[in-house]
Amino acid sequence: MSRVFITGVGFITSIGNDAGAVETNLRELRHGLATYAPFAADNIPVKVIAPVRGFETDAPDQEDWVIPAPYKLKRELLRGMGPNALYATCALEQAIADAKLSPADVSNDDTGLYAASAGSPVMLTRSINRMREAGGVMRCPPLSVVASIAGSVQFNLVAHLKIKGASGGFVSACASSSHALGFAFDEIALGRQKRMLVVGAEDGNVDAILPFAGMRALSTNTDPNTASRPFDKKRDGFVGTGGGVGLVLESEEEVMRRGVTPYAELLGWGQASDGHNVAISHPDGLGLAAAMRRALKSVGMTAADLGYVNAHATSTPIGDVSECKALRTVLGEHAARVAVSSTKALTGHGLSLAGAMETAFCALAIRKGFIPGSAHITELDPACEGLNIIRTTQAASPGVVLNNSSGFGGANVCLVLRPAV
Amino acid sequence: MSDSVPSALVDDKSAVKTPAVFSAEEEAGIRESLRRCPAKGVEAAIEFRKTGDPKHLPVVILGIFERFVEPDLRPRLATADSDDLRVIEDLGLDSLTMMEIVMLVEEITKTQIANDELRQLSTIGDIKNFVDCRTRGLPPPPVAIVYDSAVLLERMPIQPPFLFLDEARVSATKATASYRITGQEFFLQGHFKGNPVMPASLMLEALGQLGVWYLLAGLPVEEGKVVGAGTIFFASTDGVRCHRVCKPGDVLTLQLKPKRVKAPLAVFEGSIRVGQEKAVIAEEITLTFGLVDAPAPAPKPAPEAELQAEPAPQV
Repeated sequence: MSRVFITGVGFITSIGNDAGAVETNLRELRHGLATYAPFAADNIPVKVIAPVRGFETDAPDQEDWVIPAPYKLKRELLRGMGPNALYATCALEQAIADAKLSPADVSNDDTGLYAASAGSPVMLTRSINRMREAGGVMRCPPLSVVASIAGSVQFNLVAHLKIKGASGGFVSACASSSHALGFAFDEIALGRQKRMLVVGAEDGNVDAILPFAGMRALSTNTDPNTASRPFDKKRDGFVGTGGGVGLVLESEEEVMRRGVTPYAELLGWGQASDGHNVAISHPDGLGLAAAMRRALKSVGMTAADLGYVNAHATSTPIGDVSECKALRTVLGEHAARVAVSSTKALTGHGLSLAGAMETAFCALAIRKGFIPGSAHITELDPACEGLNIIRTTQAASPGVVLNNSSGFGGANVCLVLRPAV
Repeated sequence: MSDSVPSALVDDKSAVKTPAVFSAEEEAGIRESLRRCPAKGVEAAIEFRKTGDPKHLPVVILGIFERFVEPDLRPRLATADSDDLRVIEDLGLDSLTMMEIVMLVEEITKTQIANDELRQLSTIGDIKNFVDCRTRGLPPPPVAIVYDSAVLLERMPIQPPFLFLDEARVSATKATASYRITGQEFFLQGHFKGNPVMPASLMLEALGQLGVWYLLAGLPVEEGKVVGAGTIFFASTDGVRCHRVCKPGDVLTLQLKPKRVKAPLAVFEGSIRVGQEKAVIAEEITLTFGLVDAPAPAPKPAPEAELQAEPAPQV
């Protein structure tokens, strides 16, 4: 089994469009939430999202979008993209540059790409409306399907980057990009590929986020400073976000050959399902606990080895409690020691993007030697008792890290990282 | 009216449809659809919809192309020979962009272009002609027929190592062909020493060969007769200018346009390009040819049917 290292990261997120800004905001617990103008109408109870900065992707025609420097996408590429694929492209280009990969390193038989996104609801709606109302069947833009369905991100990036190895996409809602990372780990560990690019992305706009309001899953707190507060007693739902985060995973052999310094080692992973409810997590967090145990077992470790857990905790009343129960079960006697935080207090919930975003946060924390705190907790929910939920950032190496993700259907994925040695 | 009446013979006025009332809403719709096109294209589209007069369409079509072509290639659309520009090879557009262009053209002209029709259109001129015929209610112009190297080898009187056509296309108005300089050509050993360059004289020879194929594959010159393969010879050339050295690996795109074809002479204007670069221009290339009896019985099909039937010439 080959060891797997994270050698590049790239961010298009609400808390920064480069690793430097993201690190600063994670360390200083500065959030990316804001009052969102398209939610201003009185009949919309939700007012806050965590928007991506520097991009404007609301115009129906991609050529009207604002794309900040240094990114430049040709019309022929952009026309097949929704906002998610655009963010993914920029984030992955950043990660590739960060890993110092040449085009030949990216386009070869030994390099693959996995992506995760739920698709672009706004692009799908526009093309269906155009087909039904404006122009008729033959007036759908030729690439409207490519730009909108769930595989949009990998269709675009696999072709654009001329990927020759494994490719595919993962659709397990909020666990998607952790699934992508887990299976990308397998590709390298099993010797099928030497390098995998992984990217998670979401639109993070009205059509991607607002449908969650009907489920009563979104926070109706109008104050951007407190709307996302995982583990706080007054939390009332998640805050949506979008963007893209890319990671480069490489085998030990490639790391040595290229002489690059990895951020961290991706040690292994585990997954398990709740077998409970399509949208509500198991009240005792059974599936998530099983995923954590499997992840630890797969890397030959126990809770005693852990330093930090980046929790899935999205700031929903039910979900955060489930996760706390799962954490207490798995951490056992180490629960009071192992640091736990949810960076979703700063970013909101990135849905299919979450797993990749938070794994990249963990990679950054491992390389730079800090543990991001769990922001916005005024009064800790008593249901979180017994856990070491850190409210401030700690200037210490996190050691071995678990990163949790849970998605619809009761899918749970847990990734294990540690400093590269 | 016969199916084969060329559009040029139709009186413009008779072809102009009586336009329906043109609403401000429709105008706004056109302006929105064409908003990235140059102003003169937009105005021409509005004039077309107001009057139904197809004379406005070439400007509309050029305007739509200008909107999709990368900025550095746009000046080419303004040149006199823009009708010859190939959408994919010369303008760098892919087939999906071509589809976007067709959708806009369909929307503005209120016409439909079927997939199999679309596949036949390779130059701006093809598209202009096609849309012109369609809006006048005429059948589409005969399409170019593609001949692969197997067909050329079978029927050309000229054979390797002296045949410089890999693939040819012939329509009523022009012939095009491609030839890739492989580097294995015998004459490159001596031309030049240590520096293989296709001789200019052989570039003209290649154009002459395309003329031979045009005569063998093209429209009937005289009823009951076909051009005899053994009767065609190079007669003269005039106004030759070489612009670019052609070397192994270059793919030559040859083009001939007939100026006069009447036994015993066929006069063409010819050009060779490599990608988007001019290589050779020949203002006139003249071949002599003789006619022989067509294989009996000689039917009298429409020119379009004749082209598709490809009667084998008597050799």
